[in-house]
Amino acid sequence: MASTYIGYASLFFEKTVFIYGLMLLIIYAILAILSFANIRLFLRKESYTDYKIILGSPLAPGISVIAPAFNEGLTIISNVRSLLTFNYPKYEVIIINDGSTDDTLEKVIREFSLVKIDFAYDPKLSTKPVRGIYKSTDDAYAKLIVVDKENGKSKADASNAGINVAAFPYFLCTDVDCILHEETLQKLIRPFMEEESKRVIAAGATLRMANSCEMDKGVITKIKAPRPLLARFQEMEYIRAFVLGKMGWSYINCVPNVSGGLGMFDKEIAVKAGGYDGASFGEDMELMMRMMCYVHDNKIKAAIRYIPLTLCWTEGPTSLKVFMRQRTRWGRGLIQLMIAHRKMFFNPRYGRAGMIIFPYNVFFELLAPIIEVLGIIYYILLIIFGLVNWPYAIILLVFVYTYSVMISSLAVLWDQLTFQYYKTWTDVVRIASMVFIEMLLYHPLIVIFAIRGYYFHLANRTHVWGNMQRRGFKESSDTKTTTATV
Amino acid sequence: MWKDLADLLFQAYEQFSLLPLFIEIALAFIFIAILSTLIAYSAILIKRYRAYVYEKRYAFISPKIEDLITEQVLLNPNLGKDLPVEDIEFDENAINNRIFRKPFVRQMMIDTLIQYRKNFRGEVGELLRKMYIDMGLEKDSFAKMKTFRWERKIKAVVELTQMDISISDVTILPLTNSGNASLRAAARNAYIQLSKNEPFKFFDIATEPLLPWDQLEMFKIITTTKDIAIPNFSRWVSYSTNKSIVSFCLKLIAHYDQQSAIPAVMDLLANKDHYYRADAINCLGKLSAEVSEEKLVKIYNNQPLNCQIEILKALGRIASGKQLDFLKSEFLYSSNFDLRMNAARSIIKHNTQHSRVMVEELMEMTHEENQLIIKHCLNPLIKY
Amino acid sequence: MANILVIEDDDIMLKAIRNILGKDGYNVITAKDGKEAFEKLEQGEYDVVVTDLMMPYANGLEVVSRLRSDETKRSVGIIVISSVGNEETITEAFRLGADDYLKKPIMAGELLIRIRKLLANKNSKSQLITKKK
Repeated sequence: MASTYIGYASLFFEKTVFIYGLMLLIIYAILAILSFANIRLFLRKESYTDYKIILGSPLAPGISVIAPAFNEGLTIISNVRSLLTFNYPKYEVIIINDGSTDDTLEKVIREFSLVKIDFAYDPKLSTKPVRGIYKSTDDAYAKLIVVDKENGKSKADASNAGINVAAFPYFLCTDVDCILHEETLQKLIRPFMEEESKRVIAAGATLRMANSCEMDKGVITKIKAPRPLLARFQEMEYIRAFVLGKMGWSYINCVPNVSGGLGMFDKEIAVKAGGYDGASFGEDMELMMRMMCYVHDNKIKAAIRYIPLTLCWTEGPTSLKVFMRQRTRWGRGLIQLMIAHRKMFFNPRYGRAGMIIFPYNVFFELLAPIIEVLGIIYYILLIIFGLVNWPYAIILLVFVYTYSVMISSLAVLWDQLTFQYYKTWTDVVRIASMVFIEMLLYHPLIVIFAIRGYYFHLANRTHVWGNMQRRGFKESSDTKTTTATV
Repeated sequence: MWKDLADLLFQAYEQFSLLPLFIEIALAFIFIAILSTLIAYSAILIKRYRAYVYEKRYAFISPKIEDLITEQVLLNPNLGKDLPVEDIEFDENAINNRIFRKPFVRQMMIDTLIQYRKNFRGEVGELLRKMYIDMGLEKDSFAKMKTFRWERKIKAVVELTQMDISISDVTILPLTNSGNASLRAAARNAYIQLSKNEPFKFFDIATEPLLPWDQLEMFKIITTTKDIAIPNFSRWVSYSTNKSIVSFCLKLIAHYDQQSAIPAVMDLLANKDHYYRADAINCLGKLSAEVSEEKLVKIYNNQPLNCQIEILKALGRIASGKQLDFLKSEFLYSSNFDLRMNAARSIIKHNTQHSRVMVEELMEMTHEENQLIIKHCLNPLIKY
Repeated sequence: MANILVIEDDDIMLKAIRNILGKDGYNVITAKDGKEAFEKLEQGEYDVVVTDLMMPYANGLEVVSRLRSDETKRSVGIIVISSVGNEETITEAFRLGADDYLKKPIMAGELLIRIRKLLANKNSKSQLITKKK
């Protein structure tokens, strides 16, 4: 009797895993098609849009650029300077010094002639105390505001302080070490102004790796694919996640998350939803969920949109240790979020967010690593008991492999269609070659680290944030490649 | 030989149909996946190759176009000599060069001329336009209007608009209400700029919304086109059912300081939509509509927060001096930070002897947090 | 003739202005972003600087500010040309010390006249100083 039960159980398990895998792959195929349609639509509109008009228009909405900084002394000056050169007529740059222990604040005060001013700070979002607010006496830096506060142990706390100070209806949240394209503001504000019947509450764009790009004083002069293997995998993953994933979701207004490295938000909704949560490990997605809850609770028709252009370059971790910490944190953030907002699960009250986005994230993002590991364990057991049908097993493996290669290759193609960021063939090959070895090398890491994150959260381990010590972008004579190592 | 192949295929199919379903699915997907991957990389190859060819062509042609424009337009000896632009002649040989007959080059020529016109107006701008016409490029643009691919239509409309070439009403008017948002926007902008009689006629028939992004462009065209007949926009404020048109008209009324529209705008204060009302209040402020001050104060207490803030701002802009006491009491007694901030700002904005005295009084009598608000508003370094 | 530095990141505009000014006989040096502008300013003497506002490395307002805070360059005429036309930016530019502000699209003739005026003012000022001496 027991053996038949085991037989049924294993059959059931096999079928479930197979259907699960099939559904996942079908979803990716659908995303590929949707993202293609979305990208084509976007490119067509771009071909006859003249962004110069917004540059000269008094109707252009104001945007607050919020960038928290912690111990960025080495690069803070060039970072701030590049944030002051956006092509946009009406914006302010808010740098939040999150209790740095190095000379970040002193450097900025000196370089930009800042003085402490009397500022009526209204803490709509509660944060750690603000020690002072600074503005420049030099009119050339009139757009700059620096907020000095006590360390809040999270980027969320610093971002909230920035939101409190922000004067405009939209804010762009970014890390001070992210390098943003000069056209970021004009391109990202467009989704907010072009939606016909809904209110856009957040918009995002593609991020890429800055490792190996040639730079000069905080401005990218040549875009190249990263050389370190780990960074290359990440670039591949980002391209797939943004260009194929988020663009596809955006087409049907089911974007789950706007990345913290680059996102523009409707300030009113963000504040009413409560701002960023410092206790969360995935604060960007957590805020999105709350904003979505807010708009549904208040019967506001809302949308979150993505554009396929790459507007932000960030330094990806190149050491396994830091990478592990990052992905573990993401895993923790995800499970923490899913548990905290479980009321949204298949709840029609939350519209698409409840019926599509949340369930999708639970089944195909949260559970995916677990099911994968279970599947592998199952296979190993089968092998041990000599029950494996080798030809079938191999065919299934090949199936999964070729399919993932296809999806990633399509992602690379979609990215090439959007814009040829890589000027040379070697760059394209560098990224494309990752497609073939991702399953073997990179994917297992992601799975393991995600599960590690779930475990930590469930076992309530405290997270070590660590600090990506920056060695600075080494520049000898004009342009040099970044060799930021950790 | 074909029979053998057919037999082989048949046998393979037989084998295939004996397999369990999930293996069949797997094999089918493997086949699709490999095929798609190959197609994907071929597509990348093709696209990059085409981009490469385009770049080469561009690098070859672009200097020639620039030289032509530089010699014939920018450095034209007859510029600045009080000669009317229509009479300035171009060098026939330069313009009729064989190279300018290729469609690729002609399109590039149009795009470059438009770029130059964005940077230069006046005589140089007119001369660029003359070159566009003399080289027969307007015919190219009109030809593009005839396709059914909407993005080419839009490009054509945009080109003709940029080059200030008139398009007949019968062609352009139906497009202003097109279901395609981008075509609609381009057509509306074209109509305003190029129509001789009633450039705003389509405001009457507009059923589709006017998106904020499109408003940017339209605003620019309205405010920069010469000899345009600016009507009294209050007409649409009172009678249009299209919310976005009304909101846009409010902005135009403020820009053109149409004082006669004040009654119509004041009527909007009774509207149920609070974003609408906020826009109307904002407009009244920018018009410095003193007559509305009393009404604004009267309805103040029944308004949601955003309208209250707009009312305070408007009182600051109007600055008649009659509502200073109201502003003072809002500043002292309101429990909402934003309201106190805006009240303080508006008092300071009056910038009269009376208001300055009031500010000093307030500094002395109020508590620390409010003092900070006043200092904040007085600080010239804080701009927004 | 007079030396003019033109700072503009739009290639077409840069070349066009160079040609127009060159035609009128000025000696034109170009820079395509804030960084190059600062370099050229270190290296040479200029009578007039024509600058755009939105450029990589350092926006035009910083260029104006730096020029005016430098003792040796106080008398250089500054004309700002920009697509941005809102009141705050224009007042900021003038407050920092720009002599003139032209909004794109510009009239070539107007640019030339304003440059001539700037140079004429400068000459009469320096004559006044030498007279006083």
